Amino acid sequence: MSYTVRLPVFEGPFDLLFHLVKKAEVDIWEISIAEITGQYLAYLQSMKELNLDIASEFLVMAATLLRLKSKLLLPRQPRPAEDEEEIFDINSPEELFNRLEEYRRFKEAARFLREKELEQQKIFLRSTGGRKLMLMGRQQTFYTFWEGPYVLGEIMRRFAETAAAAAITPVIGGIEDFPVAEKMAFIYDLLERSGKVLPLKAFWNEKGGLWELIAVFIAVLELARQRKIALYQDRPFGQILLSINSTREKEQKHGA
Amino acid sequence: MERERQKTLIEAILFLNEDPVRLEKLADILELPREETREIVAELQHDLAAASRGIRIFEVAGGYQLGTPPELAGDLERAIGEEGGGSISNAALETLAIIAYKQPVTRAEIESIRGVKCEHVLENLLKRRLIRISGRKEGPGRPLMYSTTPDFLKYFGLKELKELPPLEE
Repeated sequence: MSYTVRLPVFEGPFDLLFHLVKKAEVDIWEISIAEITGQYLAYLQSMKELNLDIASEFLVMAATLLRLKSKLLLPRQPRPAEDEEEIFDINSPEELFNRLEEYRRFKEAARFLREKELEQQKIFLRSTGGRKLMLMGRQQTFYTFWEGPYVLGEIMRRFAETAAAAAITPVIGGIEDFPVAEKMAFIYDLLERSGKVLPLKAFWNEKGGLWELIAVFIAVLELARQRKIALYQDRPFGQILLSINSTREKEQKHGA
Repeated sequence: MERERQKTLIEAILFLNEDPVRLEKLADILELPREETREIVAELQHDLAAASRGIRIFEVAGGYQLGTPPELAGDLERAIGEEGGGSISNAALETLAIIAYKQPVTRAEIESIRGVKCEHVLENLLKRRLIRISGRKEGPGRPLMYSTTPDFLKYFGLKELKELPPLEE
C-alpha cells in the first residue's frame, strides 16, 4: 500500500517562512525565531524523508536561521564585520522580519497580477497573425531607434520579414547608389585637408536621406577598421567625432 | 465628418490593428481634439456592448484594441480549440511583480527579495516579451537592468503601469 503525500510547493525559503508565520497565526513581528527555526527544520526534514530535492537556498536559509537563533541565546559579543558574501545577509531578527515583510508585499502584488491574468484570459484580443500596419495621421510618424535592444530587435525582425517576402526592392540596389568606397575617399580627403577633428554629421548630406546616412556610416566603420581614421565619443550616444589616425601615420613613417 | 461615420472609421481602424491604437493617433486621423475623440470611442464602446456585438473595445497598454466579450470565453475556447492559454508560473509571477514595481531592477535585486535564483525565470519572461533589458546599472560589474514591456500590460489587461495598486505597507 502506498500513500500519496501532498506537500505544498514553495517558491523559495521566504515563501516557506511566510507560510509558517501564517500558519502560526501571529504577526510577522511577533514570531519567535526559535519556534520558526524549529518548524522550518521540521519541514526540510519531511522533504528529505520524501526524497524531494531541496534547493540549496533552503539550506542556506536554515543555516541563517540557526545562526540567528544561537546569537539570541548567547551573550552578545562584538564581532568584526564579515567579508564573506552571504546570499541572505541577515544578521538580526529585525532584518529577517523586514525581508519577510518585503517578500509578502510582492507576493500580494503577484496575487493581483494573477487575478488580472485570469480576467484577461477571458478576452481574446484582435490578432492579425503578426501583420503590422503603420497608421499615418497628419503628422509624420518616426521610430525611436534607440529605445533599447528590445525595440531594435523587433524592428530588425520586421525588416527581415518584409525583405524575405520580397515586398520591397532588394537592399543592395539602394546601397549601390551611394558607393561606400566613394564615401570613404571623400571622408578621408576632407579630414586630411582640414587637419581638424570633425563631427560625423559634417560628412552627411541630409538631403541624401537614410541610404546616404547608411553609406556614410559604413564608410566610417570601414575607415576605422583599416585604422586610417580614429573615432571619439565622449559619452554613449553622444556626438561621434572623426580625425585622421595620427599613430598610424607615424607607424608608417617608421616603417618606411 | 458626421458622428456615425467617425465611429465607423474608428471601428475599422481598430479592426485593422493588432496593436493597441493610441488616443492621440485616432484624434490625429479624425482631425479632432483628444477629448472629443475619447468621447466618440466611449460612445462606440457603449454601442457595441448595447447591441450585444461579438467585438468590444478594450483599453490596454496605453491604447484601444478590439477583443471579444469576456462572457464568451468558454464558448470561444471550445470553438477555436484554445485552452485558457497556459498561465504563468508562480515563480514567474513573483518575479514580474518585483520588476513591475521596482523597474529598472537588476537580477541580484530581484533574487534578494525572492530569496531564490531567478536566471531561468528571467530568460523565459524575456522570451515571452513580458520584460526587456532596459540598460545597465552603474557600479561594479555594470549588471543588466530589467523593465516590463507593452506586452506585459496587454497580457494583464492593464492600461498603464499606474493602474497597479500601490504596494501594501
